[in-house]
Amino acid sequence: MGTVLQASSGARRRLRAPRFSLAIPAMFWYVFFYAIPVAFIVVYSFASKPASGEAGLVRLSGWSFENYSAVWDDTFRQVFKNTMVIAGFGTLLCALISLPVAYFMATKAGPKLKAALLLLVIIPFWMSFFVRTAAWRIVLAPKGWLSNFLLDIGLRDTPIGVLDSKPAVFLAVVYNYLPLMIFPMFVSLERIEPVLREASKDLGAGRVKTFFSVTLPLASPGITAGAILVFIPLAGDFVTATVLGGAKGNMIGRNIYSFVIESQNLPKGAAAAMLLIVMILAMIVIAFTIIKGVQLLLQRNRAVDLGRVG
Amino acid sequence: MTTAVSVTHPPVIKHRRDWTRAALTIWSVFVVVFLLIPIGFVVAHSFNGGNSFNIWKEWGGFRWYQRIIDDKPFRDTLINSFKAAIGSTLISLVIGAFAGVAVTRRAGRWTNWFLLVLFLILVTPEIIDGVALLGWFNQYIETPFQSGFLGIRGGMLSLWVGHSLFSSAVVTLIVRARLQGLDESLEEAAADLGATPARAFRQITLPLMSPALVAGGMLSLSFSLDNTIMSSFIAGDASTFPVYLLGTVKSTARPQVASGAVALFVVTLIAAASTIIVLKRMGQSSSEIASNMAAG
Repeated sequence: MGTVLQASSGARRRLRAPRFSLAIPAMFWYVFFYAIPVAFIVVYSFASKPASGEAGLVRLSGWSFENYSAVWDDTFRQVFKNTMVIAGFGTLLCALISLPVAYFMATKAGPKLKAALLLLVIIPFWMSFFVRTAAWRIVLAPKGWLSNFLLDIGLRDTPIGVLDSKPAVFLAVVYNYLPLMIFPMFVSLERIEPVLREASKDLGAGRVKTFFSVTLPLASPGITAGAILVFIPLAGDFVTATVLGGAKGNMIGRNIYSFVIESQNLPKGAAAAMLLIVMILAMIVIAFTIIKGVQLLLQRNRAVDLGRVG
Repeated sequence: MTTAVSVTHPPVIKHRRDWTRAALTIWSVFVVVFLLIPIGFVVAHSFNGGNSFNIWKEWGGFRWYQRIIDDKPFRDTLINSFKAAIGSTLISLVIGAFAGVAVTRRAGRWTNWFLLVLFLILVTPEIIDGVALLGWFNQYIETPFQSGFLGIRGGMLSLWVGHSLFSSAVVTLIVRARLQGLDESLEEAAADLGATPARAFRQITLPLMSPALVAGGMLSLSFSLDNTIMSSFIAGDASTFPVYLLGTVKSTARPQVASGAVALFVVTLIAAASTIIVLKRMGQSSSEIASNMAAG
């Protein structure tokens, strides 16, 4: 029986196409519609804009750094800085707000409540984010709902002016990106066996110590995934922050859009896109270096000197 | 587990534990309400009698829903959104189903490279895909992505391709997660009983992974319906609802932005409810379904 089985599977294997053959449609798709087009952004960024009447969006000749020097002016530097602040600080805010929610869902809520909460966090995704976010204007406008309420009960003398300000930018960002942070955090927190937390407590660690030296390190893959899932799309987003923040929410993406679509200058937009990619990678590397550094420091402090114990 | 522990601990600690629990509950409720409040305002203002989305005037009935039927350019953006969502979802399901099977059942040295590409696709900012595809589709040669193909607009084809990149990667990963949790013996048995690979795939593997396809399809639909940034680059002659919204000026937006959003929301809710019913019939628990749908 065993030999027959082996022989037949051996025969099948010889006849069979390569192991990845089922993935060929995907590979084709990703090579032609992802890898090559994205790689071409680098090429465009050094190419030049076609003369009027010429076909195509790029002229693949006259290579130079001109697009980069044209992009990198004072206003762009300002927007570049703004993007870093919004994406970096926005990600941090999302993480801080999400962690208690994900922790509650993963460790305190029963199965029914857990499913209900997950569903409630997903539901906003099913309505246009633009309209949903713009609806905060109804609440927060100077003559809006919240303002009138605060004036009526006498908590304020003047209408609130939070719209089109920096806080409004972060309200929009947190409102839209929070679920993307909650899910991966929840998944990684849920995977931690409750036994590990109990063991930590039985060994004498308090609840705070258990959280910081057992739960949090074990959940770090989920926190990292959430941070990446929020930070990268947010850095390339140019809509969310402006819906409530107006000009205060201007980001690099807005410049790329206006170069490429409004002034029909794809090479200049490609150069700005390259700068965006470089910024994203640089910030991720810096963040990881800082986190690793802190971890090393903590480990050194926490290490038990076995010689002394013995 | 919890009861056993609470018995061994002195009552003081139990009391403190309840205090943390209360704080966490309040915070979670606060966050969920924060996420849901605007939906209520959008629904309310879709019945606004005034001409502005932002300022409530009076009850206006279904006036702005009537606009969806009467205003053809506006209606077309909603229809385009659906076409883009359905087309890109079908593509993603086909590509993702095969790739998901290949990654789990035919793993080899190629798998790590393939998974790396999927990861890169998932983390590439939409705007990069938008610039890349716009450039690629508009090089010197005339392509179907500019002039259309078999009566389908070029912009629509571009949207199908663009939206399917992210969605198919998500479907692949969900199918992979599903198949990894299942024993391969059923498929092997089918093969040993003489089923051709195609038949074993159709009769065994496909039904086994269908919950993953249902969940992945749902994620693709909602991703595509709300896609704004990439679409604003490549939609061209097939402007979708989100691209239309991008062009509206915030202060003077009409309540039809709300009625349009609610119309799409209702359709998505119906799709989601059917998904949940189908998955329940397939015997998944509610928490499994929730985590499946949250997997993206």
